[in-house]
Amino acid sequence: MDKTNDNELMEQVSAGKVEKLAILFEKHHVRLYNFFLRLTGRRNISEDLVQEVFIRILKYSSTYQARSKFLVWLYSIARNTHVDHLRKRKDEVPLDKQWYEMESTEPSPAEKAEKSQEVVWLGHALGKLPLKKREVLILSRYQGLKYKEIAELFGCQIGTVKVLVHRAIKELGKVYFELSGGTAL
Amino acid sequence: MKCNQIKEKFSDFLTGELDKNVREKIQEHITVCSSCREELENLSAIWTKLEVLPEEQPSDKVRTRFYAVLDQYKQNQDRKTVRPRKERFSIGWFRHWIPARPAFQFSIAALLLVVGLAGGYFLRPGWQRKGEIVQLRQEVHQLSRITAVSLLQQESLSEQMGGIRWSSRLSQENRASLADFLRTLNLDISAISPSRNNSIAQSEFMQSLSEQASPVVEIALTFVKHF
Repeated sequence: MDKTNDNELMEQVSAGKVEKLAILFEKHHVRLYNFFLRLTGRRNISEDLVQEVFIRILKYSSTYQARSKFLVWLYSIARNTHVDHLRKRKDEVPLDKQWYEMESTEPSPAEKAEKSQEVVWLGHALGKLPLKKREVLILSRYQGLKYKEIAELFGCQIGTVKVLVHRAIKELGKVYFELSGGTAL
Repeated sequence: MKCNQIKEKFSDFLTGELDKNVREKIQEHITVCSSCREELENLSAIWTKLEVLPEEQPSDKVRTRFYAVLDQYKQNQDRKTVRPRKERFSIGWFRHWIPARPAFQFSIAALLLVVGLAGGYFLRPGWQRKGEIVQLRQEVHQLSRITAVSLLQQESLSEQMGGIRWSSRLSQENRASLADFLRTLNLDISAISPSRNNSIAQSEFMQSLSEQASPVVEIALTFVKHF
């Protein structure tokens, strides 16, 4: 499905055919879950946030305007949901300490994979980045959003996004280098 | 291109959002500029390393919860569904009762107007009050009659006289009260008759007889005197 299809589906949801949201859910919920997982490092929280995003889509479906790409609208809701979550839980453990602190007793395939020290260091390094840099890096690297779309999402110029990505990667490399004791990279 | 201009393109270089010409210029530049080459190598290394963070699958709980919420939302939506405004104000089946001809429609409208005015006249507050006053008056009259009869049936002469006064308040048309009065008079005439042995009473009775203006009363008292 291309973006037009996503937009059309969302317009149908907006018009009252809420069952069409199931198609959008099936298409985007895994990627959205990973967006939150990379932002928070917590699986249970990420699942709750995915749930919350789709509840908000239902709630605010009537405000959807097809002018912008559905993906941009989806991630704007996702970002707001995450910010609201941070406000509620600001007393929690800092994100760099949270990364991959498993809440589930059953090891997942990803948990087995993360045995690699690189994954642990990278996760911690990502968690140490300021939120905006972390978001822009995840959106451009993992979520497949173009700089233009990220600029629309953040409400800024494309050049600003490029600078932000550049600085985010540099900072991430620096933190990763420190964590790995200067042996990796 | 200068170093600053080259570095501005690094973000695009990493994501592949560069056209072929710019990419070639960057590659040419880094072959001669070690600073830019080192920075680009570091950026590329960390960019590539980000691949090690695997994409995970959420638990089935996410899907189950989503569909439960969706079902609930649909049920609420069905419950809240209201009929369109136009349909809500439709006269529906009542339409068949309305005649097609304007003359009949006017007649019905006039009839309804008359019925409405009549209803308004009879249901106005004053109308109801008038009825209440009539009822109240009847109840007062009935109460007076009961009081008069009750007093006339008493043994005490003063109470019987009180009964006579109460009877005088009743309307003359009230034959039932008059009948009660006469019945009492007939039964208790001895009560107002002075005793033959009581000379004071005889004397007072005679004096009262001489003071009466009405001949009918004089005859009555004379009759009582000799009873």
